[in-house]
Amino acid sequence: MLSIKNLKASIEDGTQILKGINLEVKPGEVHAIMGPNGSGKSTLSKVIMGHPAYKVDDGSVELDGKNLLEMEICDRANSGLFISTQYPTEIPGVNNVEFLKMALNSKRAYLGQPEIGDDEFKKLIDEKMTLLEMDERYRDRGVNDGYSGGEKKRNEILQMAILDPRVSFLDETDSGLDIDALRIVANGINHIMSPEKAVILVTHYQRLLDYIKPTYVHVLRHGKIILSGGPELALKLEEQGYDWIEEK
Amino acid sequence: MDAITRIKQLGMPRKNDELWTFFPVAKIPAPEFPDVCACEEDFSGETDFAALLPVAQNARTMVQNIADGSEEMALLKCNNDFGRTVLNVGKGAKASFEILDNKVAHSVSAERFDINVGEGADVEIFFANPANDLPLTFRHFRITQAAGSQVRFSSIERGNGISRVSIDDFLQGPGAHFEVRTLNMLGGTAESHHRLHIYHESPETTSTQLSRNLLDGNSRASYDGSVIVGANCTKALSGQLVNTILLSEDASVSVKPVLKIYHDDVECTHGNTVGELDAEQMFYLVSRGIPKETAKKMLMESFAKETFYPLPDTPAKKRLLQTLENV
Repeated sequence: MLSIKNLKASIEDGTQILKGINLEVKPGEVHAIMGPNGSGKSTLSKVIMGHPAYKVDDGSVELDGKNLLEMEICDRANSGLFISTQYPTEIPGVNNVEFLKMALNSKRAYLGQPEIGDDEFKKLIDEKMTLLEMDERYRDRGVNDGYSGGEKKRNEILQMAILDPRVSFLDETDSGLDIDALRIVANGINHIMSPEKAVILVTHYQRLLDYIKPTYVHVLRHGKIILSGGPELALKLEEQGYDWIEEK
Repeated sequence: MDAITRIKQLGMPRKNDELWTFFPVAKIPAPEFPDVCACEEDFSGETDFAALLPVAQNARTMVQNIADGSEEMALLKCNNDFGRTVLNVGKGAKASFEILDNKVAHSVSAERFDINVGEGADVEIFFANPANDLPLTFRHFRITQAAGSQVRFSSIERGNGISRVSIDDFLQGPGAHFEVRTLNMLGGTAESHHRLHIYHESPETTSTQLSRNLLDGNSRASYDGSVIVGANCTKALSGQLVNTILLSEDASVSVKPVLKIYHDDVECTHGNTVGELDAEQMFYLVSRGIPKETAKKMLMESFAKETFYPLPDTPAKKRLLQTLENV
């Protein structure tokens, strides 16, 4: 499904942030990526999506056999990749619902499908907003405009639910969420997840993994995955931090 | 001193005249004036050539009086090259004026609007010019505001010629408020120039200015905005912000904020930003599958619409946002 091999990427001044990432994600799997601040976790999702601030130095990223790194950003998304960044961008003036409809229709056009009808879209968005317990205010506002941190994260999962991606890379989706919001967002992710899809979660805390059970847990440090394991690894990291890994 | 005598005294606008700093003055054809000025008003204090031009051409004057406490919605249409409109808005009246474009103008058109706003009145003045080929357009507004009155001036400029809007607003009574929102969407060799003088002449008067520019091709825009706060104008509040997005390397914008403050207890701000479309916003939209060209269009539209979102739900807001839907 998603295959990342020896991915190396740097920023404009030449500093290499990713120093050879290898990750294989199969359908139905949930991967949790943990690691100290500045280890390259957020960079990984942006590089895969093609953020212009990063230059790929080496390696490959394939989604269902297609080389993502050779594709336009919008085509990567329309092929089934979704990323949610740690600090979702605010776009005042672009209506949230119109944006969602535009994004969905872009995907449908890419897949050779007709545009979604107004009634069908309304039904879809109503269903997903109910799932995420979102109130009506989200419809009329600009994209993430003036949202609280938690509202932004919830809006990201709404987009994920509407666009129905094959692989979702969620960067610190749990940050800024109170206990109730965390449960709602996690339930939403679990609801969207299916045996044909995969989720990669970046998180600092075990609490998100109490709701979304990971298949694998990886530790990213200094731009490389230095350790992988099962869900028990997250518990150990929560108790002991990261230093024991390097000592080992 | 009549308008003809005064305009001859001033002479043609020059580059070193601070009212015309950014305007291509060489493109103004030297006008010929009638022998006698039909208007007997004294214009000895007027310094702006564009404010005098229609009067000095004996332009037909339309006077409209809005009675105290009444509501009025009107279209102001200028059918000649030169026109003058006088609006007297009574106490507590509500008025909405849309200015329609002069489509019959030849090499130059000049319009003057004298708007006298009574105590507690609420007035909006707006225009959303269609794209046209009028070569040279002047619009001058002289606005006086009594206590507690509000005036909102909003405009969209997207013509292909050269336009200049000049505004002199006098906040004469306590609590009067003046608000300006201008949007220039220009391409080719189009030019749009704004020159404003806002005089705070009473305590607790407020003014806000927001000017936004989306400039492509070789287009040019300028914003020359002065705020003058008088000696007794305690608690005066004024803000000016100019935001520009340059869509081509050959487009340009010039901004000149001027603050003349003669009192300590006031708050006056100004800001200016120039840039390209926000890279993070572009990335966000395309990372949701929206093609780059569509994303660019969405961001330009949002930038433009944001200019008018804070307006109250009046005919001006509806018309201006509607115009942007079709651009």
